[in-house]
Amino acid sequence: MNKIIMDDSMVGNTAVSALAISNLDFWYGTNHALKNISLDFPLRQVTGMIGPSGCGKSTLLRVLNRMYDLYPGQRATGQVLFDGRNILSPGVDVNVLRSRIGMVFQKPTPFPMSIYDNIAFGVHLHERISRADLDQRVESVLRRVALWNEVKDRLNTSAAALSGGQQQRLCIARTIATRPEVILLDEPTSALDPISTARIEELLDELKQEFSIAIVTHNLQQAARCADRVAFFYMGELVEVDTADRMFTAPQAKRTQDYITGRFG
Amino acid sequence: MMELPSTLTARDGTALDRNARGQYGDIIFGMIARLAGWSILLVMAGIVIVLVRGGWSAFSTFGPAFITSTAWNPISHNFGAATSIFGTLATTVVALAFAVPFAFGVAFWLVELAPATLARFIETAVQLLAAVPSIIFGMWGFFIVVPFMAHYVEPVLTHYLGHVPGIGLLFHGAPYGTGLLSGGLILAIMVTPFICSVMTDVFVSIPAVLKESAFGLGATRWEVMRKIVLPWSRQAVMGGIMLGTGRALGETMAVTFVIGNSNHLGWSLFAPGNTIASLIALEFPESAAGSLKLSALLALGAILMVISFITLACSRIFLRRGIPG
Repeated sequence: MNKIIMDDSMVGNTAVSALAISNLDFWYGTNHALKNISLDFPLRQVTGMIGPSGCGKSTLLRVLNRMYDLYPGQRATGQVLFDGRNILSPGVDVNVLRSRIGMVFQKPTPFPMSIYDNIAFGVHLHERISRADLDQRVESVLRRVALWNEVKDRLNTSAAALSGGQQQRLCIARTIATRPEVILLDEPTSALDPISTARIEELLDELKQEFSIAIVTHNLQQAARCADRVAFFYMGELVEVDTADRMFTAPQAKRTQDYITGRFG
Repeated sequence: MMELPSTLTARDGTALDRNARGQYGDIIFGMIARLAGWSILLVMAGIVIVLVRGGWSAFSTFGPAFITSTAWNPISHNFGAATSIFGTLATTVVALAFAVPFAFGVAFWLVELAPATLARFIETAVQLLAAVPSIIFGMWGFFIVVPFMAHYVEPVLTHYLGHVPGIGLLFHGAPYGTGLLSGGLILAIMVTPFICSVMTDVFVSIPAVLKESAFGLGATRWEVMRKIVLPWSRQAVMGGIMLGTGRALGETMAVTFVIGNSNHLGWSLFAPGNTIASLIALEFPESAAGSLKLSALLALGAILMVISFITLACSRIFLRRGIPG
């Protein structure tokens, strides 16, 4: 029941993992939300996480940057290896961790400040940087998310005036500006229109040259299009993980098959 | 599959004419509401008229000098407002200097750091503090704060700060215990709950996802507070501070107990002084109807109203400029 089906590329491939989870359990108070999860996130690949609402996929993301730390009663046991350390151990500096494992949320969340300051915010937290270098950093990340041409003349105006799609790209730019190694995306396009969604998906393809990406999505087509590997979660368990091709054409587990053919969820 | 009933019961064709129930109900309710709205203006106008008319004799006797004169001599019938205006402003500034950081600290702790059950308990205590009658603060101030200030705080402040150029002037003089500093401190305790509960409310109301975004970039709790929450809630926080300012400007009983009630104007925070409200409270019972003194007190009341209005107006102008685009 709890057996995880693995493909060959995963076994013996842990050396090139950006993140390696083993035997992870998570609780919201007494609610056992993640059960004995073991999963690798390969370096510079997109790992998609799918499953019905409440299956634990978003919870898993919040473990990976210790966001759950903010809330009392939430706790995790097991191991998540990142850069040779178990990030769940109490000695880890969560502020540094979060600058190295960035996160983009479901709804665009521009800070109530200018476009420029939205990006400068995260940079200033971790680096002493000259104005000229900061200008350059802002321009380069905005170019990377293909937002530069749209906003270069109004960097000092409020980010709230941007469209939803632009705001989300700004949030991605803000995240990569702190030069993380891993980017976590929690349903980043679910609040966006199809055109904005397509642009974000193109962007992911480009970003994985440099970053390792974990994306939670409700949209199976999106997972098929963007992800190199896909993990299917159901009721707090990791049911199956495989390459995107095989996951959507020849899933091993019955529950995966039922889910991707739309029989539930 | 459930079948829909083939025939739905038709309504009984109620006439579309306006009926009496709706008509008169709305008219009566509308009139009551209108009356309530206008009566606010009426009350305001009434207060202003009484104060200005009552104070007119003082204003016309002394002219503009009433505001700048430091005299208060019932024997020679010479009255001025400067000392009590100064005392009012000075105690309010002292009160805010203590209350704003204090309230912020409490609110930050309650919202961000305290365990939920303890936070609820402390929050209730803060609200209870706001409900303590000012006479209680006055007595407590008189019996506890004043001796404590006289014996411990003021001598120490004089010793360490009395010789510092500039601010040293504030800490000179005999440690009576009563005075502007004690008055300001009592006020600080009294206005803290108001400022604190406004701050707590707005800090809680900020969207969690906005805070999480900042945490997600590696910000500490303090950085999130300073760079995200405070700018976001600046308007409401200023509103809370203004609420406290209004209370501090007009607070009477507690201040009267600890201010020293002396018509004295000077730099020292230790020196006894008075405020507009404390002066009115003390002198009102001893003023004969129709006397110049009573008129001077009513004129002081008018001035206090004007100060309060200006405070409110300033905060509005300041806030309108302060809102980010």
